[in-house]
Amino acid sequence: MTATLQRFAAAYARSLVAYAIVAVLWITASILIAGFGAYAHLRYIVELAAVIGLVGIGQTIAVIGGGIDLSVSAIITVTAIILPLVSFDADATGLGAIALALVVAAGIGAVNGLGIGYLGLPPLIMTLAMATILQGLLVLIAGGSAISVSNASLDWLGSTHVLTISVSIILWAIVAGVCLFWLHGTRSGSLIFAIGTSPVVSKLSGVPIRRLTLATYVISGVCAGLAGLLLLSMNGQGYVGIGDPYLLSSIAAVVLGGTPILGGKGSYLGTIAGAVLLVTMTALITVINASEGWRSLMLGGLILGMLPLSGRDQSR
Amino acid sequence: MAGRGARLYWAIQWRRNDGLGALFLVLAVFAVVYAVLFHGIFAIGAASKFVQGWFPTAMVAAAQTIVMLTGGIDLSVGPMVSLGSVVAASSMDGPLGVFGGVLSVLVLGAVVGAIVGVFVAIGRYPAIIVTLALSFVLRGVALLIMPRPGGFVPPLLSDFLAGVHPTTAILLLLLVIIWKLYQATPLGLGLIAAGDNAEGAYRSGVSVTAARMCAYVVSSVLQALAGLYMAAKTGSGDPLIGEPMTLAAISAAVLGGVGFLGGQGTMRGALAGSLLMSILISVMFFLRLPLVAQYIVQGLIIIVTVALPLIRVWWRRTA
Repeated sequence: MTATLQRFAAAYARSLVAYAIVAVLWITASILIAGFGAYAHLRYIVELAAVIGLVGIGQTIAVIGGGIDLSVSAIITVTAIILPLVSFDADATGLGAIALALVVAAGIGAVNGLGIGYLGLPPLIMTLAMATILQGLLVLIAGGSAISVSNASLDWLGSTHVLTISVSIILWAIVAGVCLFWLHGTRSGSLIFAIGTSPVVSKLSGVPIRRLTLATYVISGVCAGLAGLLLLSMNGQGYVGIGDPYLLSSIAAVVLGGTPILGGKGSYLGTIAGAVLLVTMTALITVINASEGWRSLMLGGLILGMLPLSGRDQSR
Repeated sequence: MAGRGARLYWAIQWRRNDGLGALFLVLAVFAVVYAVLFHGIFAIGAASKFVQGWFPTAMVAAAQTIVMLTGGIDLSVGPMVSLGSVVAASSMDGPLGVFGGVLSVLVLGAVVGAIVGVFVAIGRYPAIIVTLALSFVLRGVALLIMPRPGGFVPPLLSDFLAGVHPTTAILLLLLVIIWKLYQATPLGLGLIAAGDNAEGAYRSGVSVTAARMCAYVVSSVLQALAGLYMAAKTGSGDPLIGEPMTLAAISAAVLGGVGFLGGQGTMRGALAGSLLMSILISVMFFLRLPLVAQYIVQGLIIIVTVALPLIRVWWRRTA
């Protein structure tokens, strides 16, 4: 038992650092800034982090498996824009439209997975090209205008609290739990780490690399789709570019959470802290009431400043 | 002796075209299509306008290639171009005039490149996350210097760089010559060696850290100069003008066969990749396709160019 605990502490030391930073920031800010430590405000921070956190699930799995998904922001935008288009009258709860939107997201992920796993395209190229293609398609479909949506289930998702906890946070917790169990508790999950460590050895050992790669990017697509729906429920309308900030923040959350960008190691546990950390920093910068230039500068500076804490490039 | 050396040089240069066949073929097809659609391209005016449209993309593609050859990647290309344009347009009305503007852009590029180099080459942090964070910083600084497009570029400079004459084409040629010279120095040679096999390069006496450091500085200076060129072309600075260039630079390099793992790829490939994208945009303009359709075609072409050799290998193995 103690051996397991020691192994856990060693493996997740980097993730724990991210949690420690969040704790320090929250405590310091609560003392210094009136209202920061209020329950409703902290809950709001976690609600915002849920979007990054959901995208981060797929991104974490892709990165652990030695890849990366640069199409997540485009998939978020696709689901946010396509939902009103696939809504139909017989569907009073709106669940049918949500399911269709998620199927589209999964389909995009599947195309990524087929290109990477079966055709052998480098993940960066495949997902970058996918993002470029979707960007063009979206402007053709939606143009420059924002599309409003009325979906009963989404309204419920965006506004309901269960025992004062927002449904969006509960949704995030459930999906995160499933992801953590799959990555660390099942055989196929642990094979993702094997692929990320050495694709050649994995292949020679009989790991079904192609199928698992396909699964990785389908999961990433669905998670990005869920994030898009959540974003839509908070915003009330979708527009081209709604998902753009989430590409960089999902990668930043993964790295700040201690998952090395080179793959084979890490955990989604860290990404959760990374997502909360990013939103907290953004919130702090907003409190100072800085202009857009200062906000961008400080956020980038903070990520650069935290790099020494999140670990160095191990190779070479 | 010299004759054999030269033969060897050209043989190696020729071998480095391997894998670029598909790209050159696609490029030739589109060039013919473009020439058929638009006969006017052979006139000096239209030709110089075309080269002027291509030049900034070529510069950032070259900048991205230098970094990718070392095994890194630069996600801050766009904001760096914007910052270059903003700094150029806000420093040219000083006492030193155009000279002062060019000097401050060069210093900006060198300083930013050195910062990235310290993090990536010396600190050994992953380039992807360093440049990602840096892109926020640079965008912020550009917005602070110039919240909205403006500033001043002397019309004389704009006319010199973007008038109806082949100055830009000469600059492009100069860029290629400088690259060849850079490749002849130890630091330039070390660049590809360090990306291909850092350990091996180090054991063979290459200063891997210095080669990488130098690569980031050269790359950033190129990006800053691309910003200066954009400012001269549009006549003002714009804190967001470079935004699409991060993707464009990576796409051009990837189209040109430059690999993400370092050490693979050629500058000629990246320049051909950027030229293909530039022609593509012009062709689609003449076909009256919506401008956004270029994204779709660009994405498809990236996939096809990269996938074709892979499919051929796969075909040979199963047949």
